[in-house]
Amino acid sequence: MRRIIIRRLVQIIPLIFAVIVMNFVLIHLAPGSLFDVMTSEQQITDPKMLDQLRHTYGVDQPVSVQLAKYIWSVMRLDLGYSYRQNAPVFDVIMQQLPATLILMLAAIGIALLVGVTAGVLASIKVNTIWDNLISLGAVFFFAAPSFWLGIMMTVMFAVKLGWFPVGGMRTIGVDESAIGAVLDVMHHLVLPATALGLFYAATFARVMRASMLEVARLDFVRTARAKGLSGGRVVLAHVMRNAMLPIVTLLGLQLGTMLGGSVVIEAVFSWPGIGSLLFDSVMSRNFPMVLGVLVLGSLLVAVCNATVDLLYLRLDPRIKAR
Amino acid sequence: MTTAGAALASGFAGSSKAATGAPKRGGTLVGTWGGFEPQSLFVPAGGGSSPYFTSTKVFERLIRLTADLKFEPVLALGIEPAEDFRSYTIKLRPNVTWHDGKPLTSDDLVFNAIQYWKPISAGVTLDALQTAEAVDPLTVVLKFKVPVPEFFLKSVLAGKAGLVIPKHIYDGSNIITNPINNTPIGTGPFKVKEWVRGSHVEYARNDNYWNAGKPYLDKLVIRWWRDPASRSAAFEAGQLDIGTFNPIPAPDIARLTATKKFVAETKGYSNSAWITSVEFNQRREIFKKREVRQALLHAIDRGFIADTVFFGRARPSLGALHFSNSIFFTKDVQDYPFDVKKAAALLDAAGYPVKSGSRFKMSLVSAGWFEENVKIGQYLKQAFEDVDITVDLAIPDRATSLKRIYTDYDYDVAVSNNSASIEPIPQTTQYYTTDGIVKGAAFRNATGYSNPKMDETVSKMAIETDEKKRVSLVHEFDKLAASDAPVLPMVDLEPVTIARSDVRDHSLTADFMGESWAEVWLDR
Repeated sequence: MRRIIIRRLVQIIPLIFAVIVMNFVLIHLAPGSLFDVMTSEQQITDPKMLDQLRHTYGVDQPVSVQLAKYIWSVMRLDLGYSYRQNAPVFDVIMQQLPATLILMLAAIGIALLVGVTAGVLASIKVNTIWDNLISLGAVFFFAAPSFWLGIMMTVMFAVKLGWFPVGGMRTIGVDESAIGAVLDVMHHLVLPATALGLFYAATFARVMRASMLEVARLDFVRTARAKGLSGGRVVLAHVMRNAMLPIVTLLGLQLGTMLGGSVVIEAVFSWPGIGSLLFDSVMSRNFPMVLGVLVLGSLLVAVCNATVDLLYLRLDPRIKAR
Repeated sequence: MTTAGAALASGFAGSSKAATGAPKRGGTLVGTWGGFEPQSLFVPAGGGSSPYFTSTKVFERLIRLTADLKFEPVLALGIEPAEDFRSYTIKLRPNVTWHDGKPLTSDDLVFNAIQYWKPISAGVTLDALQTAEAVDPLTVVLKFKVPVPEFFLKSVLAGKAGLVIPKHIYDGSNIITNPINNTPIGTGPFKVKEWVRGSHVEYARNDNYWNAGKPYLDKLVIRWWRDPASRSAAFEAGQLDIGTFNPIPAPDIARLTATKKFVAETKGYSNSAWITSVEFNQRREIFKKREVRQALLHAIDRGFIADTVFFGRARPSLGALHFSNSIFFTKDVQDYPFDVKKAAALLDAAGYPVKSGSRFKMSLVSAGWFEENVKIGQYLKQAFEDVDITVDLAIPDRATSLKRIYTDYDYDVAVSNNSASIEPIPQTTQYYTTDGIVKGAAFRNATGYSNPKMDETVSKMAIETDEKKRVSLVHEFDKLAASDAPVLPMVDLEPVTIARSDVRDHSLTADFMGESWAEVWLDR
């Protein structure tokens, strides 16, 4: 257990390094620069002022020097300064990262709960109307673009029925108690987390169904039934536990894409996460901010994947930490 | 301008009251605009519409322009030119305090003129400014190298560059990177209470506002949605009260206003008119020929662009000035009505007949920062192909468009946008003058057009202090710009504000989005 954790931590270092170098190169390959975007926005045309700003932003140095400086500052746990936001990169990200984390966690929770339940149900009632309905639903939610789903849910549940707010994370301008604030955030969270989660739930349902059917055919399940265990116990303790492994694999893989998917959902629900920050930063070629988000994002994904590996050990002790 | 002077003298009261009954005090107004969150609540050098929208609730200007294009006082009680128009005396309003309680004095104004406006926000516009002297705590004299027209100076002071910022906070710091720009402190009716990045900014009423009784609102919240459809939904769900600058998709406007719960208002944009223009790169042999440029203009059906791309919320432009500029606009310029045959004939005459199916090949760059530009680019490709020109269309993103059009000059024909104030110098003129050519500087002369007669006309405009003569000089400029056509507006956009019908007294100025909204009230 400890070995796997240490090994993971050591692996993160070259990963982060690769993320920095690759993205730095990619951003610099894209035409246009932060300097172009900012000076055009500010309509600065005085050549003297342009030179002064070039120096302030550090773009008057060779790209290799900029990269070396950036890596050096990351090694000292400093993600740099964003002139566009007029604040340190780390501070800006930390203001917005929690919102994205909450959204992702809630979406994963919904995806697992809905997906696994639906998959199990479909496998138990295989080839019945239930199975067909679940499969149909899975195909629908998998195929429906999440922004469309988000807008439809807004129209239905926020505009027509008025059950949920149309966007944002908190009711603005109301001072609440701590519990009130938590409930308020949860109220705002329902629609975006569902819109994001249903897409993943669809995959989970399909995988869970197939996996359940496969495991159900194995000898040990027959043995369990032969021993006279109740149907429910066989499904929960024997089939489901073993059928969970592919789901856990999938979960680890999809954490990264979920970060990407949240960009769209955050836009639709004006959720104050890092999605729009990342999007704006790419569009304005604001590389300290892009790199900052990606570095922290890759850290997050690496930590989540390590957690998934540990989960593997719990679920199937035959898998040894190597 | 005498009318402007009269408005200044007559004072603030009664200037822009709408007949909607006595204003009610209180309530929270939630507003947005048709764009994204700003990078910082206040961007000293400008930073585009988004920080302009958020900073002007906190910072004010000396004067402002009303919807009928008259100047009225805000922080200044009077701005009087000397006989020779080489100096101006500014009288400040007494008993104005900053949000931190310090008084606004002539020291602040001197600091703004010399250390903020001239070097940072106004740039070339105030090139002629020589000194600013405080005569007494409330009086400042600005001295200029050359005569400065009154309308011109007042436009600068009433414009985006004229925000008045506190000396005691900015003095000695780098104004552009000062962290206070994220929570600015001004003299305005609203104080920044909280900015939640990615979501909204909340303003609280400034109880010590100089204009007693105002603002009417207790709270002002500006929220941002990245998606126009989400803004429509927010309106319908009652969670958004007002949105400026095309907040929702055009087809939704009719649907929302049909319920009578919302109004669509097109007033309030004349001092920041938006234009979609076409630019011809004069560095390319073919587009250096005036006949070719004129032919291409004849090949464009501007009415189609206005009706189809903008759903009728735009109109075909005429000349270099926008229609809502009732002071300087003239109809007496060369127009280019849609006429494919004429376009083809002009191209033939210019020496570009059709050879094996094509006259020549050109690159068309349509700046992809507005969704409409994508459609216009696609339309123009069709339109130019109809006169047998092979078109290589590119619709790059913002950063790439800026680089291709304004830094690398890597285009033959470009579609771009700009916003223009009533005063044509420098925003409109710098597209045509030789000194407007600055490599790497966006939204100015990227075509490389240079005509001594044009330069001379504009330099005359800059120092002509007789308003009537100045207007005729602008007409002369417009005629030349339209007939030479190195760059011309295709359509004037008609921005729209969507508001709930119980939001009162909005859109009363020439640039409502950039006003403090002290007069806005809720009839609930």
